[in-house]
Amino acid sequence: MSWIREGELNLIEKLSANILKAGPMPKHVAFIMDGNRRYARKRQVERQEGHTQGFDKLAETLRWCLNLSIHEVTVYAFSIENFKRSKDEVDGLMELAKQKFIRLLEEQENLEKHGVCIRVLGDLTLLPLDLQQHIARAVVATRTYNKCFLNVCFAYTSRHEIANAVREMAWGVEQGLIKSSDVSEALLGQCLYSSNSPNPDLLIRTSGEVRLSDFLLWQTSHSCLVFQSVLWPEYSFWNLCDAILQYQFNHRPLQKARDQHREGQALQQYEADLACVADLLQHHGNGKPLDAQRRQEALLNYTASREERVQNFLGALQHKRDSFLTDLTSQAALA
Amino acid sequence: MAVVYEFVWQVLHVLLHIHRTLITWFRTRLRNWNGQLWSRALTALLVPIALSFPNPKNLVPAPGKRVGRRYRCGTDGKSLEKLPDHIALLIAEEEPRYTDIANLVVWCMAVGISYVSVYDNYGVFRRNNSRLMDEILKQQQELLDLEGSKQLSVEFLNNGTVKQDQQVLSCQSVLKVLSPDDGKLRIVQAAQQLCRAVEQREKTSKDINVTVLDSLLRESKSTPDPDLVLKFGPVESTLGFLPWHIRLTEFISLPSHVDVSYEDLFSALQRYASCEQRLGK
Repeated sequence: MSWIREGELNLIEKLSANILKAGPMPKHVAFIMDGNRRYARKRQVERQEGHTQGFDKLAETLRWCLNLSIHEVTVYAFSIENFKRSKDEVDGLMELAKQKFIRLLEEQENLEKHGVCIRVLGDLTLLPLDLQQHIARAVVATRTYNKCFLNVCFAYTSRHEIANAVREMAWGVEQGLIKSSDVSEALLGQCLYSSNSPNPDLLIRTSGEVRLSDFLLWQTSHSCLVFQSVLWPEYSFWNLCDAILQYQFNHRPLQKARDQHREGQALQQYEADLACVADLLQHHGNGKPLDAQRRQEALLNYTASREERVQNFLGALQHKRDSFLTDLTSQAALA
Repeated sequence: MAVVYEFVWQVLHVLLHIHRTLITWFRTRLRNWNGQLWSRALTALLVPIALSFPNPKNLVPAPGKRVGRRYRCGTDGKSLEKLPDHIALLIAEEEPRYTDIANLVVWCMAVGISYVSVYDNYGVFRRNNSRLMDEILKQQQELLDLEGSKQLSVEFLNNGTVKQDQQVLSCQSVLKVLSPDDGKLRIVQAAQQLCRAVEQREKTSKDINVTVLDSLLRESKSTPDPDLVLKFGPVESTLGFLPWHIRLTEFISLPSHVDVSYEDLFSALQRYASCEQRLGK
């Protein structure tokens, strides 16, 4: 299958994989696949060839991830900032993407066999319509598979993603599905493009650059960041193992930081609920102070109703997103 | 068989742990020696072994020059190709040493960086704000070379209020003390604000975009996003530091802020100066 290279690890690789797996393993790894153009310059080939080799390396890396029981991978394929590149390069990348998605759909059986769910994260409306339609077909076709997940960030920046999540929450308020006081860190997280995935445990950036370039800024706040100097098309199994080792080193302190953050979040939510209940009681009460038990009951009721509102809103949001994709696929069918 | 693998894994991690501790130990030892030849030789020995060490570049121990040296911070700053407008010191270590952090802040300002932020994962600096400020003022007196009676004046920005220093300013820097609440929580608060505006029909959801959100999250129009984060400590993560603002920030890791030297800071700045930002192009 073109998107995931067939093959198994050799003996030494298998041995190393088994040793690594004795420790904590990341369940979700994100890659910033940087260095295609520098690789092309180094090998004195066309830029487009660099990108093609980059895609082949992605296929190989996905194979290694599966061998290492890493079942979710997110990659940064194309940033909204990349539209600033020359028309030739952008068109070339769009064409490459289109071919890869068409090829993907031709290998439907293999996808089903491996249970690969493909998701594309980003503002698809910025892409050419035919590419949008191919993407929609691939996503809809693999929606129900759940053995492993590949998230491709295309026409994506983290700021756009966060702003979009805020816009969706505002839409929810407009529709009367949620109140502005329901807005919380957890809810924002669930309105991101990546809402169906857990946060990445490990973020790897190749080619030696040491920045995040507007990639998963919200989701990677407590992830292990590994910057490696190898160029993406030259990435090897051992580079991946090295990154995983560093993840294992950082595992405990990061777990601690994450737990602490979660506790803080829960406390903030509790206090917010308390404030809302106090507000409600003030407005609707008869002036008499309630005893502790009634107050506790009111709080529980409020929390339950807030959670119900939020679930309804998230259902409506998911439906909106699904309809967008299904509309694209029916357009493609008619064309 | 699983037991064997687990055993090997344990051994591997113990070895790597010992290796890391040795490197740090050597680094502190070598710093105290003035023999540059020694330090270079030992480094040459250590670097090939350091295959799985995160940042081999930071293994090179600084030549042991400590307090008492006259710092030519201003000239050093001008010698760099580019200086960050805004540097953030991310302390990812358990016990912060106020003196060392104060040193770093003062050096950054002396070198010519206009905005300096200090961040830790537990919000300790926020809570002990005044202690940090006192320490900084103290270090400012001790360490700076008073070149031509130019004194640095520091404007402390804390929770939006501005405290003015008494001295007349000819060179001004801004210090911000940040905590995790300035990160995701601020974004959520901005989102709540926008949703309230929508609730009250002052805005529609379609009005919300990156620019609108950015202007809400920018503390003041003149404060730039951090160009460089210097991370101190072994943990390889941003630990919740300003998620919105770090989209183009360079991250340079240093092993520890404890006994950090000016040379450590300067070599990090030199490394920053050689970074090439293509901004998507």
